[in-house]
Amino acid sequence: MPPEPILQISGLTKRFGNLIAVNDVSVRLEPGTIVGLIGPNGAGKTTLFNAITGLHTPDAGRVLFKGTDITGMLSHKICKLGMSRTFQVVKAFSILTVEDTVRVGAYNRHGEKEIQAKVDEVIAFCELEDFRRQKCGDLSLALLRRVELARAVATEPELLLLDEAGAGLTGTELDGLMAILTRLNREKGVTLCVVEHVMKMVMGLCQRIVVLDAGEVIAEGTPAEISDNPKVIEAYLGKRAVR
Amino acid sequence: MNTKQRTIKMLPLLVGLVVALIVPLIVGKNQYNMVLVTTVLFYGVLATAWNIIGGMAGQLDLAAWAYLGLGAFTSGTLLLRWNVTPWLGMILGGLVAAGFAALVGYPLFRFGVKEVWYALSSAALVEVLRVAFLMWDEVGGPVERYLPFHRASWYHMRFASYVPYYYIVLGLLLIALFVNYRISRSKLGYYLLALGESEDAAEVIGVDARACKLKALMIYAFIVGATGAVYACLFGFIHPSFFNTAQSTEVAILGIIGGMGIVYGPLLAAIILVSGREFMRANLGSSLESLYLAIYAVVLIVIALFRPQGIAPLFRKAYDWLLSRVVGERYAA
Repeated sequence: MPPEPILQISGLTKRFGNLIAVNDVSVRLEPGTIVGLIGPNGAGKTTLFNAITGLHTPDAGRVLFKGTDITGMLSHKICKLGMSRTFQVVKAFSILTVEDTVRVGAYNRHGEKEIQAKVDEVIAFCELEDFRRQKCGDLSLALLRRVELARAVATEPELLLLDEAGAGLTGTELDGLMAILTRLNREKGVTLCVVEHVMKMVMGLCQRIVVLDAGEVIAEGTPAEISDNPKVIEAYLGKRAVR
Repeated sequence: MNTKQRTIKMLPLLVGLVVALIVPLIVGKNQYNMVLVTTVLFYGVLATAWNIIGGMAGQLDLAAWAYLGLGAFTSGTLLLRWNVTPWLGMILGGLVAAGFAALVGYPLFRFGVKEVWYALSSAALVEVLRVAFLMWDEVGGPVERYLPFHRASWYHMRFASYVPYYYIVLGLLLIALFVNYRISRSKLGYYLLALGESEDAAEVIGVDARACKLKALMIYAFIVGATGAVYACLFGFIHPSFFNTAQSTEVAILGIIGGMGIVYGPLLAAIILVSGREFMRANLGSSLESLYLAIYAVVLIVIALFRPQGIAPLFRKAYDWLLSRVVGERYAA
């Protein structure tokens, strides 16, 4: 018998007027894995994330997190249960310092007494020591993405959804990020679900990949299976590219 | 931070407090001057309270005088009808204002009314209450209701001199500053600053945005409501004109110019702008009555363009510079 999934999405649908952004999507995430969610622009990846984390209410379908129905639940309650996320377009707390941003996340599970220790731990874990007193408004994109990751890690999630955490990063920055994510998965046992366009990251990190196109799941499998899948190639490159 | 650094950081507060305490000894002979300094502090209290909902939580609240009026009418009516002391009236007025804030705030935050829509709704609230109290004959109505006159009665909070009022308002200001400071160092404070920047981002890391905003609104309304009780005693009457849209907007302007989310910022803005305004009123009142509004507008535009963080950081820099000159870099705050 396979282990109980940490996240089970069944028949999830989200419409915006006439546009069906996510159509009858069913996905299962096993605990402790790193799963990639890929697909061309407009495939519905971010909408799916929003529907899972409570920023959108789905029109149909259910989301089970650790066996609890979280469909349409408020985001902060979902976070208390153990799921957090980052955003594709960075949403920084510009007037807060890096340290205080992490502190906001750390309050999720810690009171005033232990908070400083938790903040220090997360800042060290995400290698942000040198920037802790800087205002987020003064940071580069790569660092902002790291701070977003850090504040989500500080909430001590069991499942972390990363929406294009690698976009716009240079090769070295990407390696640093991947190292942190790997440690997060191995040392803390956090399940990761990454939406990503950067193939280096998807192929290097993920054990399993789910491909979305036009709101529907078109393929699912290991990185090797996915890169040979004619449907995936067609979705990305068009019909004639399929050998 | 060692004790010496802490002392240096607290120094401006102590100096300010000492100056504030002896001001009546200097200008106390002239009652007009006493009204002026009391008004400045009074706006300081309102703007400092506004900082909680406007500066920290980032909600552009334009309803300060709605809560002030509710506090004034609660305390004033209790005094007129049942001879209840305004000291108790302050607390009850604050509670009525906070309760009303909860009634209004809950649906607003529940249905995600924010930004310009929140500003407009809160501005409308002031006007709605003004009209409601004009028509509510038992409590309000178009005629001023005068509070009983006493030359000096602590029980009735009525004095022939403005000096006691000055100290009462100063006390309120210290309470407002203290509450602000405590919030800014607490979980609620960090949550408010975070959700003020991005509600979605705050929510997904565990911030209950609705509950936090409602708390902020109620604390702000309580302080403003309690201040309203003192306001009624200070001017000796209650009237629906207390629900004043223009002056509510002014409170928000002071908060913004002072520096959003910075505890002492709104107070600095109140000291500079309100005394400037009163000075202009006194000296140009006959010829250019509304000039201060134009100057407010210019100051607001200049701040928005060049100092979006407000004037508070400027003062901090100036103080740091002064310190480094006097005691050397080591102890700069």
